[in-house]
Amino acid sequence: MSGLPVLSLIVFTPLLGVAALLFVPGANHRLIRWVALLAALVSLGFSLFLLGYDPAGAEFQFREDLPWISAFGIRYQLGVDGMSAVLVLLTTVLSVVSILYSWGPIQMRVKEYYAAMLLLMAGMLGVFVALDLFVFYVFWELSLIPMYLVIGIWGGPQRIYATVKFVIYTLVGSLLMLVAILAVVIANANLPGGTFTFSYEALRGAPFPDLLQAGAFIAFGLAFAIKVPMWPFHTWLPDAHVEAPTAGSIILAGVLLKLGGYGFLRFSLPLLPDAAHSFAPLMIGLSLIAIMYGALVAMVQPDLKKLIAYSSVSHMGFVMLGAFVFNTQGLQGAIFQMVSHGITTGALFLLVGVIYERTHDRLISHMGGLNARLPACAALFGLFIFASIGLPGLSGFVGEFLVMLGAFQYSPWVAAWAMLVVIASAVYMLWMFQRAFFAVPSDWMRRAWGGLRDLTRVEWLSLAPLVVLVVALGVYPAPVLEATAGPVQRILEAVQSAAGLNLIAWPW
Amino acid sequence: MNDPAALYALLPEAVLAISILVIITVDLFLARERKWLLTPLTVAGLAATALAIAAVWATPPSGALAGGVYTVDRLALVLKLAAVGIGLLTTLFAPGYLVVRRLPLGEFNAILLFSTLGIFVLSSSADLITLFLGLELMVMPAYLLTAFHKTDRFSNEGGLKYFLLGSFASAILLFGIAWTYGLTGSTVFTEIAEVFSGGLMNGAVLVAIGFLTVGATFKAAAVPFHFWTPDAYQGAPTPITGFLSAGPKLGAFALLLRLFSEALGPLRADWLDVFVVLAVVTMTFGNVVALTQTNVKRMLAYSSIAHTGYILAGLSAFAAASDPRVATQAIEAVVFYLVGYSVMNIGAFAVVGMLQRDVRRYGGLGSFAGLARRQPALAAAMTVLLLSLTGIPPTVGFFAKLYVLLASVDAGLAWLAVAIALNAALAAFYYLRVVVYMYMRDPEAEPAEVERSGVGRLALGLSVAGVLLLGIFPGILLGWLPA
Repeated sequence: MSGLPVLSLIVFTPLLGVAALLFVPGANHRLIRWVALLAALVSLGFSLFLLGYDPAGAEFQFREDLPWISAFGIRYQLGVDGMSAVLVLLTTVLSVVSILYSWGPIQMRVKEYYAAMLLLMAGMLGVFVALDLFVFYVFWELSLIPMYLVIGIWGGPQRIYATVKFVIYTLVGSLLMLVAILAVVIANANLPGGTFTFSYEALRGAPFPDLLQAGAFIAFGLAFAIKVPMWPFHTWLPDAHVEAPTAGSIILAGVLLKLGGYGFLRFSLPLLPDAAHSFAPLMIGLSLIAIMYGALVAMVQPDLKKLIAYSSVSHMGFVMLGAFVFNTQGLQGAIFQMVSHGITTGALFLLVGVIYERTHDRLISHMGGLNARLPACAALFGLFIFASIGLPGLSGFVGEFLVMLGAFQYSPWVAAWAMLVVIASAVYMLWMFQRAFFAVPSDWMRRAWGGLRDLTRVEWLSLAPLVVLVVALGVYPAPVLEATAGPVQRILEAVQSAAGLNLIAWPW
Repeated sequence: MNDPAALYALLPEAVLAISILVIITVDLFLARERKWLLTPLTVAGLAATALAIAAVWATPPSGALAGGVYTVDRLALVLKLAAVGIGLLTTLFAPGYLVVRRLPLGEFNAILLFSTLGIFVLSSSADLITLFLGLELMVMPAYLLTAFHKTDRFSNEGGLKYFLLGSFASAILLFGIAWTYGLTGSTVFTEIAEVFSGGLMNGAVLVAIGFLTVGATFKAAAVPFHFWTPDAYQGAPTPITGFLSAGPKLGAFALLLRLFSEALGPLRADWLDVFVVLAVVTMTFGNVVALTQTNVKRMLAYSSIAHTGYILAGLSAFAAASDPRVATQAIEAVVFYLVGYSVMNIGAFAVVGMLQRDVRRYGGLGSFAGLARRQPALAAAMTVLLLSLTGIPPTVGFFAKLYVLLASVDAGLAWLAVAIALNAALAAFYYLRVVVYMYMRDPEAEPAEVERSGVGRLALGLSVAGVLLLGIFPGILLGWLPA
């Protein structure tokens, strides 16, 4: 390992980009775009150092540790394990893709837009690398405001309603989480020999009382469940997606939802294992509802973006299912599914954006015959749809298959239910694909017919990394699975030795 | 006088009093076009006062002064420094607003500093009489400032309401003071505490505590004693509203800290419940009513009531703490919140004031429409201040809330912390609505004219810098209070 503070460089390069943008004249769109892209690319470059993560080495690598607010025992503590390294790479790749893709569609208030995107990037990256609960919370909230602005300024007609809903939902969850963080920290300090610290590693494994575990699990769980989003906390997602600009949707589906899944795996399970143990049946139940609900609602969506948004609810349900069956396959599948969903759904939103740029519409009934005018777009759309359904050889298959394996060990009935939904997802995805690309063009589409051009160079460039990743991870998922094996093992050790809660002393 | 040498501890008060006299005198001899000199003069006076505070901090006196009626401890000095900061920001924000309305700068600055001097006395009071003197010295100038725009009927109405209800509250407080004296035979806090720690508790003590609580929370603008706040805040000239929401609030909490933590400290188990209920009711009511406001100035007035609730929660944490370490932490949390709140709130009111260059504007939401395109820097500054008021990191508002939450949880009031958290989420709705107007709406047909005063911009820059600096490095204001 080099002496370079790699993680800080990854997180703060986008912020440097924001600072640089302040000095670029607002009218010079070209320069603004290049500065933003450069900052994101440099951050991506630094994140490639994480490929050097050694699965056999220490749990957390690339560590940084500096005192910050010493009165409260808060330290600027960063580090990555296999799980966060994978998610950091996903974030940097998707951020570059979305910044590159925005080249064309964003023509209004360009400077503010790229500043917000870079700020968002920094916030999300910080969440994945923080090892101090205070630092984690700061970045968690930091990622909220830029998304609020991105949806609210560059979004669709109902953008203000959607963005306010997004913020209020998220804030309720995260503020309660803050109380839970403080409760956990204070409980740890009051243990015999305990110290006042926000350090994740110091808090992990502390024997917290049952009542606290239950309360904290609910508070953490609410924050994360809203972000994932788990049924019934998902209602902000379709609104946010429909109104967000394309790049906002890519980041929202690709990374922001993963903050929730990551939160469960990083904090809820290892910090509060007894509560996780007791709440697992409930969480599995909610995941099963989310999986089915998302798929059923997706089937009847008239709008391309809404359809993909609801499919996200269903796919993220798989992540949660895998997380709470508590076995190696389930957890590995959950992490892999997060990565895969980030890539495929990000790409699908991008392609919907491509269609929208040309037709200024997203209604499936207005489409039809797009294959004839946009063959490359159609081919890629098909590729990512198959990846999303879980066709073997593409990345979606690996995650879903592993989760299914894990679920089967938990209960064959659960696995059967999930399997049923995989069929349903094939139905809504393929039916949508057929109607949009191969059906007889609608009258509406005929009017836009002449103006339809296939993918531009920028669009190709932004899609290329996603195409490579979706195939590569499908054919050879081993690197991700190897990197996440260690973290998964540690989570399992924590939850499998847990005894469950005993809140009420039963008299018998 | 126990120790005449200890009188140097009164240096900050002396410097401030002299500055006021200098300002009044100089004002008499300045020609109209040179009146602007009064602002740097006032700033210099405040800077000298700050230096005096620093000097006293370096060599603090031991024990109380003047027969135990005046105490200059670290708590007092920090509160005084905060008061100087509040005075400084107000002085810088005021000229831009006053000049277009042809309001006199010299009188304004002198009255402002008188009120600051009142806060000084309050912060140091160790005796009921001193406390009352300080309180009146603080609020009398505040009444005057509220009605400072004498040709504006809203200003007059606000001043009158503030004066009438404020005098009423003072009378109630005085009544409580009389009962306390009657029960304990002393006006000195330490002696009162001694009597109460003997376990004296009866109906008469409850009456005394009741009157003291009502009088004090009236000044702090806690629900249900808040009625004067919205009208006084909305009617007052905007830079003064900023001061009113910070200075007298700081003073009221200095009063609460001194009176309830020192004199009534031994009885804190008895007043704890009242304060918890007041805290929850105040924050919830303030936020719910603020939700419905379309005038930003009035919205910020109600939001300042909500913030009173958060600070009261810190005071409740002090009362509930069984461990002295936790109790100290709670007091520190209260002071940190007050400082952070003052910086962000004065700044926010100042932005409202800057949009009132057209004197017919009263700070409606429409003035903010499309501000991000017309004045990107101003809009960005306002956004930082609003995010801080919401409590989003990395701003001082976040850390202040965190500290109060921490103190509450540590004192075993976890459900109070949950109430704060839910309230903060509620508040996000109306704070962010201003951001929606600034960034996501088109400007009005006749957009609000924006004041371009250089000192105003400087002060705004200071506020934003303070909000971020204290938010990222809150350590500078932590751990100063000895256990």
